[in-house]
Amino acid sequence: MKHTDSISSIQLAIIIASTIIGVSLLVLPRFVVAEVGEAAILACIVGLFISFMSVFSIMQLGKKYRHHTMIGCNRLLLGKYVGNFFNFLILIVTIIIMGLDLRQFAEVLASGLLPNTPIEVSILLMIILCALVGYRNVSTFAYIHVFYLPFLLIPMVFFIFAYEDIEAYHLLPILGHQLSLKQFMSGAIVMTCAITNYFVIAMLIPYIKDYENSLKNSIWGFFLGGLAILYTIIICLGVFGVNEMEDMYWPVLSLSRIIQIPGDVLSRIDAIILITWIFAVFTTLCSYFFVIVRGTAELFRTDHYGFISTLMIPIVFIIALIPNNVYEIYNYAIKVSYIGLFLFIILPAGLFIIGRIRNKVGVR
Amino acid sequence: MIGLSPFFKKSNHHEDKTLIFQESKLIQQYGGKLISSQLDENVQILNKIFEQNMDYTSRRFELFHKTPAVIIYLNSLVDKEVIHHDIMKPLQEEVANDIENLFQYMIENILYYNDVKVIKDFSTIIASIVQGKAIVFIDGVDQALEVDVVMKEKRTIEEPETERVVRGPRDGFIEDLPTNIALLRYRLPIPEFRVEETEVGVRTKTKVVVCYIEDLANPTLVKEMKRRIDAIEIDGVLDSGYVEQFLADNPISPFPQLINTERPNKVIGNLLEGRVAVLMDGSPSALIAPATFNQFYHTTEDYNEHWVISSFVRVFRILALVFSLTFSSIYVTVISFHPELIPAKYVVAASSGRVSIPLPVVLEVLLMELAMEVLREASVRMPQQVGGALSIVGVLVVGQAAVQAGFVSPITVVIIGMSTIGSFAIPSYNAANTFRMLRFLLIILAGTLGLLGIALGLMVVVNHMLSLRSFGVPYMAPFAPLNIKALKDSVIRAPFDKLKKRPTNIHPNDITRVGNVVKDHTNFNFLDEKERENL
Repeated sequence: MKHTDSISSIQLAIIIASTIIGVSLLVLPRFVVAEVGEAAILACIVGLFISFMSVFSIMQLGKKYRHHTMIGCNRLLLGKYVGNFFNFLILIVTIIIMGLDLRQFAEVLASGLLPNTPIEVSILLMIILCALVGYRNVSTFAYIHVFYLPFLLIPMVFFIFAYEDIEAYHLLPILGHQLSLKQFMSGAIVMTCAITNYFVIAMLIPYIKDYENSLKNSIWGFFLGGLAILYTIIICLGVFGVNEMEDMYWPVLSLSRIIQIPGDVLSRIDAIILITWIFAVFTTLCSYFFVIVRGTAELFRTDHYGFISTLMIPIVFIIALIPNNVYEIYNYAIKVSYIGLFLFIILPAGLFIIGRIRNKVGVR
Repeated sequence: MIGLSPFFKKSNHHEDKTLIFQESKLIQQYGGKLISSQLDENVQILNKIFEQNMDYTSRRFELFHKTPAVIIYLNSLVDKEVIHHDIMKPLQEEVANDIENLFQYMIENILYYNDVKVIKDFSTIIASIVQGKAIVFIDGVDQALEVDVVMKEKRTIEEPETERVVRGPRDGFIEDLPTNIALLRYRLPIPEFRVEETEVGVRTKTKVVVCYIEDLANPTLVKEMKRRIDAIEIDGVLDSGYVEQFLADNPISPFPQLINTERPNKVIGNLLEGRVAVLMDGSPSALIAPATFNQFYHTTEDYNEHWVISSFVRVFRILALVFSLTFSSIYVTVISFHPELIPAKYVVAASSGRVSIPLPVVLEVLLMELAMEVLREASVRMPQQVGGALSIVGVLVVGQAAVQAGFVSPITVVIIGMSTIGSFAIPSYNAANTFRMLRFLLIILAGTLGLLGIALGLMVVVNHMLSLRSFGVPYMAPFAPLNIKALKDSVIRAPFDKLKKRPTNIHPNDITRVGNVVKDHTNFNFLDEKERENL
């Protein structure tokens, strides 16, 4: 594959971090807490480590096949038909996850910011915004993530002001109340599923300039994003406790409403947090769209990125509108996530092993 | 190109292959035709071409009192003093006999004038005459003498209107290219300073020069600049603004992708960073590439003042920029969608003024912005004598009346005033214009979608800016891609001992800009050691 633009491994790390911080920031705390109760923190850490295995195997796979994206690796290692089948599956799952994320985003907006605006409008505008980015230049994609990352961390600063309301007993016991291992793992898997979007790095491997540093930096990026989410969960759980959180849909939104900034400048900061969260959602959706557009283009061996992204607008839009309500979004999301878990975690590891066994050599 | 790709697909091939630009037909017609040794024949050809023009002069005289000769020129373009005293007088008065090589003798012994050439073919002659050169034909010689006696009208050097400074040099470029180059040369007396000439415009034949410092500017950049200039196909360029639009990486983008300036010191400053400047005959503004967004809120004055003060001013310029872009749209969205954002007492203050206003706040703000734009445009076009008075009438009287009539609320007037004044604080006029335009987009989005609209609008703008490149340099550098070292000359301006390196994103050949800075001046004393001991 010929290309002239490239990204640095630090940019790769930033892409991972700002991709992970996304829609899930607002919805994940409730999800995990509903599964495992007080053990949410531990479950998150375990979930992060499961995902981390996947990051590690993708980066190792990339080290061996320096000039292939995931799509190329699938083709190379699994053969044309099986490989392309998985490639299709990756794209379809990504499209569905993107649609569901978009829908969650629109639902949060409708309840938090714009009660009178139809969700279709915000969904459509967000997809168009993603499509407008244009995916011809990988470096532009990296610049977008670099530019927005500081904004994504603004809510983290605001959450500090909530520490007065944290009750230590909300966080304890750290192992939860009489959880079986299966229950605990299901909580961990929720976390893992929510952040599978770091998979975008599998599409970026051929563009990394300094690959020798990229494993180290991608770990940093991954943990920066992961810690941001973990921190949010801790604050939410600490402030509300399990019982209260099970009653709310978007605990972070409620959290941002109760935070008081000293000094009477802004009366409420939830709008600011929502705006930065919109940026976060955008960077995440942009990563999904990147996988979709670049993946489709590579699958069909074209470079009509503009055409593909225009084509994807209605598809993602329709998928985002399929669920009837918030409950259905989560049902769909959980079902799709398990396929995603296989594709984004087991597949790279499997490919890595297959690559070792078949001893195939990538294109120089 | 990148940012707007799905909707504006860029075609890689020329749209219209039949569009072929040609040289002037007359010059082509006489291309290759040589001068004959018959004087009358030569003069007749030129008479045929130029006779209808009132400024055409063809004068007969006798060279050295014996040989018939003719001098031909366009009298509107030439310096007649020079023709009378430095050409005609010596040629007519001198007496010379039996000269073998007449032209050689004339150039070496008779003519005092510098720019003299011997030419042989008609196409060159025709081109020279229209450029203000005088042609001398001599009977019996199949060559002609071309003397460059062009005299253009030019104004004096003044301070540029759009880029005023409190502290710093006051000279600005004028329309005359040689003067502009002189302004640059005297600040840069080094042999590495290159001024390479090309020609743009099939009909205007405008001289365009590419200036750079040979051991600083990256040769690839210089080559790319020359390639882009040579690729321009147009009948005429009347200002460097024409050239700018051809040189921009993304012609659809409203953002300026080259810096334009009328200040020689700004050009020099940029050349010293390894950039390339383009000057054009007939235009007082120079273009500088590559440009980053960073530079559009910098002024040359930032480097003249102390770094703390410059940094302070730069922060306020950025605030002004953000004000001019978002202030009115945030006002719209806070008043009409999210009054809970600001403390209750401000909401009361803001909305109590709006009780009697018939329009929704979006329309009110849009109308006021529109009125402001009209006023601004009018004050540019108005004659200077009435301009001041009218703008006072426009702003004070109309604004006051509108508020009293209950048509707009006082706070709206304040907000619009802030955003308009903010746009004047942006040093670069064209960047300010872009933000003015985008402000309307944001107001409409804010009025329809509230904070989501502002967030989406800002993201569209920022994403587009992130996708821009100016001669391959990312437009938003050093913010994205992040370059910590280069941030020292962005929002803040670090002291010179911290700015030792040139910006690396334009890949200059030589990276060091500032050597060792001696900080220790405190040991100085009027008295030497012995005298101090005696005290």
